[in-house]
Amino acid sequence: MLLSTPWRLWRSAISTLKSLRPAPVRHLSIPTDAVCDADTIFALSSGHGRCGVAVVRVSGPASSMVLRNMTGLTQTLPPPRTALLRRITDPHTKELLDRGLVLWFPGPHSFTGEDSAEFHVHGGPAVITAVLQGLGSLKGVRPAEAGEFTRRAFHAGKLGLTEVEGLGDLIHAETEAQRRQALRQMDGELGHLYQDWSSRLKRCLAHVEAFIDFSEDELIEDGVLNQVDSSVHRLQTEIERHLGDERRGERLRNGVQVVIAGATNAGKSSLLNTLCQRPAAIVSPIPGTTRDVVEASLDIGGFPVLLSDTAGLRDGLDSVEREGVRRARQRVEQADLTLVVVDSTQLPTEPKQAPTFLQGYLSIVLPQPSGGNPEEGREATSDRVLLVLNKSDLVPEAQKERTERELRESLGLPPACFLSCHTTTGLGDFLAVLQSRVKTLCGNPLSGAPSLTQARHRAHLQQSVQALSQYHQYRNHDLALAAEGVRLALTHIGRITGRVGAEEILDIVFRDFCIGK
Amino acid sequence: VLVLELFVDLYDICEIFVPNVHTFFGLTVLESFGSVGSVCSLSFSPNFTIFPGTQGALSCNPSLGGVGKGHLVRELDALDGLCGRAGDWAGVHFSILNRSKGPAVWGPRAQLDRERYRQFIQSELLSTPRLTVLEGSVEELLVSQSNPNEPGHHRVTGICLVNGSQPILSSSVVLTTGTFLSGSLFMGQTTTPGGRIGDAPSCSGLSHTLRETLGLRVGRLKTGTPPRIVKESVELSLVQIQTPDKEPTPFSFLNTHTHCKPEEQLPCYLTHTTPGVERVVRESLHLNCHIQQDSKGPRYCPSIESRVLRFPGRQHQVWLEPEGLTSDLLYPQGLTMTMPPDLQLRLLREIPALHRAEIRTPGYGVHYDFVCPTQLNPSLQVKSTQGLFLAGQINGTTGYEEAAAQGLWAGVNAARAALSLPLLALCRTQSYIGVLIDDLVGRGVTEPYRMFTSRAEFRTSLRPDNADIRLTPRGFEEVGCVSLRRYKEAVRVRDSLQEGLAALKSVTLSSTRWREKLGNISLSESRNGSLNGLDLLQYKDVSFEMLAAIFPEHLSPYLEFSQRLNIEAVYRPHCEKQSREIERVQEEESLSLPPDMDYLSLPTSLSSEVRELLDRVRPNTLGAATRIPGMTPAAIVHLLHYVLRTAQRNQHTGQRVKAACKP
Repeated sequence: MLLSTPWRLWRSAISTLKSLRPAPVRHLSIPTDAVCDADTIFALSSGHGRCGVAVVRVSGPASSMVLRNMTGLTQTLPPPRTALLRRITDPHTKELLDRGLVLWFPGPHSFTGEDSAEFHVHGGPAVITAVLQGLGSLKGVRPAEAGEFTRRAFHAGKLGLTEVEGLGDLIHAETEAQRRQALRQMDGELGHLYQDWSSRLKRCLAHVEAFIDFSEDELIEDGVLNQVDSSVHRLQTEIERHLGDERRGERLRNGVQVVIAGATNAGKSSLLNTLCQRPAAIVSPIPGTTRDVVEASLDIGGFPVLLSDTAGLRDGLDSVEREGVRRARQRVEQADLTLVVVDSTQLPTEPKQAPTFLQGYLSIVLPQPSGGNPEEGREATSDRVLLVLNKSDLVPEAQKERTERELRESLGLPPACFLSCHTTTGLGDFLAVLQSRVKTLCGNPLSGAPSLTQARHRAHLQQSVQALSQYHQYRNHDLALAAEGVRLALTHIGRITGRVGAEEILDIVFRDFCIGK
Repeated sequence: VLVLELFVDLYDICEIFVPNVHTFFGLTVLESFGSVGSVCSLSFSPNFTIFPGTQGALSCNPSLGGVGKGHLVRELDALDGLCGRAGDWAGVHFSILNRSKGPAVWGPRAQLDRERYRQFIQSELLSTPRLTVLEGSVEELLVSQSNPNEPGHHRVTGICLVNGSQPILSSSVVLTTGTFLSGSLFMGQTTTPGGRIGDAPSCSGLSHTLRETLGLRVGRLKTGTPPRIVKESVELSLVQIQTPDKEPTPFSFLNTHTHCKPEEQLPCYLTHTTPGVERVVRESLHLNCHIQQDSKGPRYCPSIESRVLRFPGRQHQVWLEPEGLTSDLLYPQGLTMTMPPDLQLRLLREIPALHRAEIRTPGYGVHYDFVCPTQLNPSLQVKSTQGLFLAGQINGTTGYEEAAAQGLWAGVNAARAALSLPLLALCRTQSYIGVLIDDLVGRGVTEPYRMFTSRAEFRTSLRPDNADIRLTPRGFEEVGCVSLRRYKEAVRVRDSLQEGLAALKSVTLSSTRWREKLGNISLSESRNGSLNGLDLLQYKDVSFEMLAAIFPEHLSPYLEFSQRLNIEAVYRPHCEKQSREIERVQEEESLSLPPDMDYLSLPTSLSSEVRELLDRVRPNTLGAATRIPGMTPAAIVHLLHYVLRTAQRNQHTGQRVKAACKP
């Protein structure tokens, strides 16, 4: 994948620039429970980015149905564990999606112990998205939650105890990636939409619950249920319209999120411009020139990267700059990879002191792990951070070499690269490090794969709409079953926005109603 | 074997009745295990009114059941509890709340005649073999070094009574202190120590032992009670009359009818507050200590003061409830107040129907200590103290039914502990009692805890109608608290329902033929082919009786269960949808975490944040751990791994608390 000259990497870069809308970051809790084991689940099991072959895995009781519907194998299933070349079609329109290999693993002789199937398709994003959406449109089939394949394998007794240890690390990595991704998504218009639906559903449910638990004893205002009727109806219409209108959905920000951060005037914008090969950001010797987040979409070694330049971190002088710093910190929090830029001329002249200086610098720039295990934190940092020692042309060669040696030997620091954006010295080495890091990140199918996320969202939204129709079905003769419909709908939306517990519903009940004994 | 279950419940009369009921269960347990010669003692507070002739003028509201609470009563009955049968005996006004909202949320409820309830409980208790009833106030809890083979730092050895010459020794003690633990009463600006007006304050020794010797974390809650009104002084022409159900539905699965004849039932009365009430509340705020305190009171049972302050400018409902067939008092539900007595009278008289009202006893507020219930096992045993069980308000709950549920379970486990049998847990997937206990020990409380149907995730499956099938077989086969007679009846019902459902499935006709037979029924056209009886019952206009008339030879044997079959047919598909999720929860609940686990130094990779969380909450099962706010999936997996590895290593060292959820 490595190309001979670094510049060729950027030739195909699609550069878009936009400043970001300010939006609050919401705290999300990752659901720890899966929807239901009776469901059949699917996921892209290979990494994303431009790869030759992508593997989509399906597991659960409906796997054979899935295989039949996607391949037109109406009569017989393929022989177990044997690859078969088939036309893969959309289950409803029968439109050809790709030609690829399909494999059938009847339970219990599969990874999860359940009936499973695999689709090996061409690795382009369009094909993968089409296949995932096709799968998601089948009844009883939904995208897998983080670590769900492994969890099922565990419950089926397919994993040894030693493998469980690995499972923990895997889920940790996945949930971390999901958390960051969710933070990013919730920041946008789509996130606001989901949050809005979620809070309206919560209110609906709370009002139905209030009516069930309290209306016999209390004055629950007349018409509470009529309000719920129309709210549920409106929600149903809105979600259906959203599902039907592809253009409306804001595109999830694609790619590995790389954020440039550091003190003012360290040369962060110069780094962005160097990587973009064009003056995307304004550069000046005045500290605090960049006040907002500047973004550029790049292609690094075939992997999509969204590069963001942020305001230099310092106690801002005016409110605009303070806001810029706040956004910068928010970006670093959401990043898959952070490039921490340091002005090399600020390094201690005594190289032995450099590691301590850089540790201090990092602790200012990076968000502090909240009470976490310091060992774990450091490990995670070195995976997700690169130190860029900029302006290396202004440092004596001897000091540079000795500092480099010190840094290599010191433990607990992320990799550091001397670089001069001015002369481009050291750029090649830096790009090689950056590229391998991006590649590793892309190997995790969860970091920033929008098609997968979108498929997940679609599936949950569809199930949510279905559940809401149960509300209307039972509204007039069994409110408990009607409420169950709203509760299910909320559970599904909650899978996108974060979990909703019984206490939260009760809080709304007590806030909105005058409840007595 | 000396088994002592000690009830120190000094709260109000109803309150104490209910937990006492469950002392009885502990005894039933003993009987079924055939431990001949065991002696059981019950201790009551000196003012406890179990003896005829003593009036319980200060008790709380005279009713049993309701939405959510009715579920608990049905479940208690299914486990052979007394309160359902006592309610059927003492009820004077029966109604099923939420009748139109679906059987999963029906709320069986009754107004009680306090006197009859007392008589029933008393005769049941006194006719229990091997039960000794002692009267006395508890001075001190006796504890000693723990048994090193079991988890815990202390062990209960018995109690000392006030003026008791010698201690009463016991290996299990159930504490139900009600509102008496460091209780103080508030009325206007006066504060007096005590848990109920007219009763002596409880001894400080007990509170000291819990805090200092056992090191339990204790919090403070508040509650209150309304003034009692002389019935004659109420203008009944100015209130709405609320009539009971024409056909009273008994609480108990064993009863086909209630003691009270349908036509003998008493009505309840409904009236509303006025702007004048709000004015009196506002004018008296400076004279009202209780309302100014910031300890937590229930949000759903607020005093009239807090209602008016939180929702100003509204009418609030006031129910006037009968206290019994012969009582001359009415209980004004919704008018809990703590202002000075003269202002209470002024407030009442702002309500048109009460403009001449006379108060027999004024309302007042109570502040009391509770033990943070996360320090308990799901068996309701204090984790740190072998043999000490807590139930009722001491665990931060409110209400008779909630107390009864805990009383039963604590009683069962106290008896099992005394017999060295493994302690048992009820799962939240199986019962409201399980939900209640799991919420308490897993999440703790920040305000008095009351049962609501919305707390049960599996509400569709946990219905009042099927409590016997859910709980009675296990209560007999595994727990040992259910009588043979009840067990046989539950098995008969369960088998009949299964046969009835099979019979329904077997009767099939084409939709056209069904329409011909049933007349004006709109069956969906989209379904072609034949429909069976179960399909037909999905339509709300079709009932089992109608089908039985068409297929008498198949269905009439099950007419006795027609209502239950109607419900089963509608709910079955929804319950099946939940069953996998229930299985998953049960699987996680069946993995118990050792209570003495040292989370802070556990050799597995957990963040220090998660370690501290686990160390503080000490979840009993993996399932409980997943419900702790702030827990991460990765941490759960590491925990699971550790538990499995440890379990493999010590396969033979059994768990003390058996988290038995599997049906």
